[in-house]
Amino acid sequence: MSNPEHDLNDLLQLPPYSLADDERNKNLLQIIKKQLPAAIKNNHYIANLFSKLRISPEKIGCLEDVPPLPVQMFKYFDLKTCPEDQVVKVLRSSGTTTGTTSRVPLSKYTTINQIKALKSILKDYLGDKRRIFLVIDHEGINDPKREFSARTAGVRGLSIYAKKTFYLMREENGKLVLNLPVIKELLSQHQDEDVYVFGFTYIIWSTFYKQVQENNLRLNFKDVKIFHSGGWKKLKGEQVSKDHFSNEIARIFGTGQENVLDFYGMAEQTGIIFVDCEYGHKHVPNFAQVIIRDPYTLKPCDHNEVGMIEILNSLSDSYYSQAILTEDMGFMVGVDDCPCGRKGRYFRFQSRIEKVEIRGCGDTFRE
Amino acid sequence: MIRCHLFNGEFTNQEFEDFTPIIESITINRRVVQEMPLAVIIGLLAKLGKKLIHNPEINRLQGATYISVWLRRKNLEQVCKTNYADCRYLDTFIPVNNNFAMSAQPRGVVCQWIAANIPTLAFFSLAQAILSKNGSIAKVPEESSAFIAALLKDLSDITLSHDGTTYFGKDIVKAISLVSFEGKNHEISKQFSLAADCKVIYGGSVAIHSILALPQKEHCETVVFGPKYSFGVFDRGYIESDQFEKALENSANDIAIFNQMACSSPHVLFFEKSKYTLEKIGILMKGYFEQLPPVLRHQNTDPAILANVINERAKYLLSDNKDIIIPNDLGWTIFMDRSIQLEDPIHGKCIFIKEIESINDVFDLITRKIQAIMVCIHDEDKRRIFAREATYRGVDRVVIPGTIHEYDQPWDGILPLNRLVRWVILKTES
Repeated sequence: MSNPEHDLNDLLQLPPYSLADDERNKNLLQIIKKQLPAAIKNNHYIANLFSKLRISPEKIGCLEDVPPLPVQMFKYFDLKTCPEDQVVKVLRSSGTTTGTTSRVPLSKYTTINQIKALKSILKDYLGDKRRIFLVIDHEGINDPKREFSARTAGVRGLSIYAKKTFYLMREENGKLVLNLPVIKELLSQHQDEDVYVFGFTYIIWSTFYKQVQENNLRLNFKDVKIFHSGGWKKLKGEQVSKDHFSNEIARIFGTGQENVLDFYGMAEQTGIIFVDCEYGHKHVPNFAQVIIRDPYTLKPCDHNEVGMIEILNSLSDSYYSQAILTEDMGFMVGVDDCPCGRKGRYFRFQSRIEKVEIRGCGDTFRE
Repeated sequence: MIRCHLFNGEFTNQEFEDFTPIIESITINRRVVQEMPLAVIIGLLAKLGKKLIHNPEINRLQGATYISVWLRRKNLEQVCKTNYADCRYLDTFIPVNNNFAMSAQPRGVVCQWIAANIPTLAFFSLAQAILSKNGSIAKVPEESSAFIAALLKDLSDITLSHDGTTYFGKDIVKAISLVSFEGKNHEISKQFSLAADCKVIYGGSVAIHSILALPQKEHCETVVFGPKYSFGVFDRGYIESDQFEKALENSANDIAIFNQMACSSPHVLFFEKSKYTLEKIGILMKGYFEQLPPVLRHQNTDPAILANVINERAKYLLSDNKDIIIPNDLGWTIFMDRSIQLEDPIHGKCIFIKEIESINDVFDLITRKIQAIMVCIHDEDKRRIFAREATYRGVDRVVIPGTIHEYDQPWDGILPLNRLVRWVILKTES
C-alpha cells in the first residue's frame, strides 16, 4: 500500500462494515499518516498544531495519537489542507447555537470520496436500487441561496440515492404545513414502490406527525426506510422517548419500528453518517473510526463509559478531517460483535454538551 | 412550591405554598437575637468555628477550614469594628455628643439569593445577617443546602454563659430559614422579594437584573454582589526578586481554589518585561500547578467548561504568536501571548499570562467590573500610587498572591454589615 489514494479506494469498494476493528485501524492509520504531511505543508495552522504538540506524523503509532481538532475550530480558522486552486467549493454550515459559520473547503477528490462513502453506507441499509426519496421538509431547504444547515446537509447528502424526490411539507407564513397535493400524488401513483424518507427528528415529530394525525393520513408504500437525525434535546423536553417516536412514525408509514433509523452526522464530516442498526447501535464504516474520550483526561473511555465523540475520517485531502473532536457525548457499546453482523466499533449517542451556565459572581466577562 | 429546609429551628423538608408562615416565624424569633449582646453572638459563632472542623459532614468541604479561621473571635470583632466603628452601637445608644446618641437596629427580615458557584457563600451571607441581628430567609442552591444545614445544626447545640445568663445558639438558628424554589417562578420570586426588609443578592448579570426588577417594600434596602473579574500584575523588580517564585506558587493556589468560579479568581496575570521570558515564567507556573494537592489539582468540572478549555487550547495551538503549556489532562492550562487585554474567563484553572512593557499598561483595562488585583510591587510608595489609581478606576481590592479569596471587609466596595442595619438616633434635651 504505497499510495494512500489507492488504499482509500480499496476501502470504498468494500462493503462498509466488513472490516474488523484491528484491520481497519491498521488501514486507517497508514492512510491518515500519509495524509498528514500534506495537511501540515499546506496549512500553517495545522503546522503550528503539530509543532507545538511536538508530534511528527511518521512517529504516530496509533489512531488515538492523531491530534484531534475541536469541531468549533472550523468557525475560527481556515483549515484548508490542499492548494487553493484545488478547492471547488466551500461548505458553510450555520451553527445552531452560536450563529457563527463553519467553513469546510472541499476539493474534487474529497467530494468524490464523500459521495462514494455515503452511497456505500446507504446501500448497506437500502439495497442496490435507487428509490423514491421523501423529504419531510420544504423544498426551500435545498435552495443553494439559503444558508447551509444541518437540515440542508441531511437532505443533500441522502438525495444521492434518490431516483425522484418529493418534499412532503411546504412553507406557509413561515410555518411548515403538509404539502397535501404532493402527498396525494405520491399515494395515488407510487404506493407500490420502494421509498426512503429523511427528516429532522424534531420537525418530523412536532409538525409532520401531528399534522398527519390531524388529517388522519397513512402513508403506506411497498418498502420504506425512514432516516432521521438531530433534535433529540427538544423532544426530550416534550418527554418523547426514542422508542415511542419510532413506533409512532413506523405506524403512520405502515412499517415496523426497525425501519425507523436515527443517524448521527455533521457537516464537518460529510460523507459519513452513523446509522442505527436494528439493535439501536450506530456503526462506524471502514473508512472512519470513532474514539470516545474522557472529557477530563482525554484518554479513550472504556465501553459504556460516557465521553466526547471523536471522529476520524480518511476521506478528505482538502480540510483537516483526519481527527475531529465533537461537542457530543456518547458511549462505545462494543467492537465487531453486534448481533446485526456489522463489523467494527458500535456506539450510542447520548447528548450534546450543553452550553455552560456559570452561576454567581464569577459569571463575568472582560469588557 | 417552596421547599423549606429549616423552619422555626427544625431541620425539615417541608413544602409551603407561600412565605406567610415562614415570615411569621422569623419575625417572632428574630426578637431574641436582637436582644442578645453582640459579644454573645460573636462568642457563639466563635465556638461554632472551633467545633465545625471536627464535623466530618462539614470539614470535607473546600473552604470549611477557612470558615473556621474566619469565625475566630478576634476576626469577628474586627469585622464588626470595621463595619460599625463601635460595636456597642448594636446593643444600645451611644452618645455622639451631649444631646445626640446613635444606635444600630437590624433591618428586619433579610432575604438572601445565594449563588451556586461558591459552596461556602451561604454561610458568609448568613453570618453577616446574624452579626447585624437580623432574621434571615436564604434561598440556597440545592447543592449547598446540606452543608449549610449541617453548620447550623452545630450552631443549634452551642450554649454560652455571659454575665450570669445562658444564651443558646438555637435561638439564632430559629431566626433563620433556608428555602429552595424555582427562580424562574415569578410569583414565588415576587413573594420572596416582597417579604424582605433587606435583599442581599449574589449572582450573575441575568440573575441580578431579574431580581432587581421584582417589586419590593418601599423601605427595603438592596445589597448587590454582582459579577466581577479579577487579575494580577507583577512589576520587574518583584519578578527579579527572591519572592517571585513564592508569589507564583501562591498565585497557582489562588487560581485553583474554587476552580476559578469565584469573582475573586484571577484569570490573567500580567508580567512586566524582565530578565525572565514569558516562557520561563510559564514553566515556573507549570511546576506549581503540578504541585497542587490532588483536591485542587483534580476538581469536578462541568463538561461544558471542559469543552471550552479544549476549544481555547486548540485556538492557541493553531495560532501564530501564541503559545501554551498543558499537562496530559485538563487539570490546568497556561495560555501565553503578548496582547494587552483581559480574556473571557474559561474557568477550570485556565490562566492567561502576558508580557507588558509597564505595569501602568493595565490601567486602561480597569472598569467597575474588576473586583481584585493581586499587585506585586516591592516599592511600597509605588504600590500605593498604583493602588490609588487602580481603585479610582474601579478596582475594589488590591491584594497579594495567596490572599485573593480572603473574605475581607469591605467586599465589592461595600461594608455589608453596615448596610444591614438602620442607623437610628436619640436626641435629648441638653
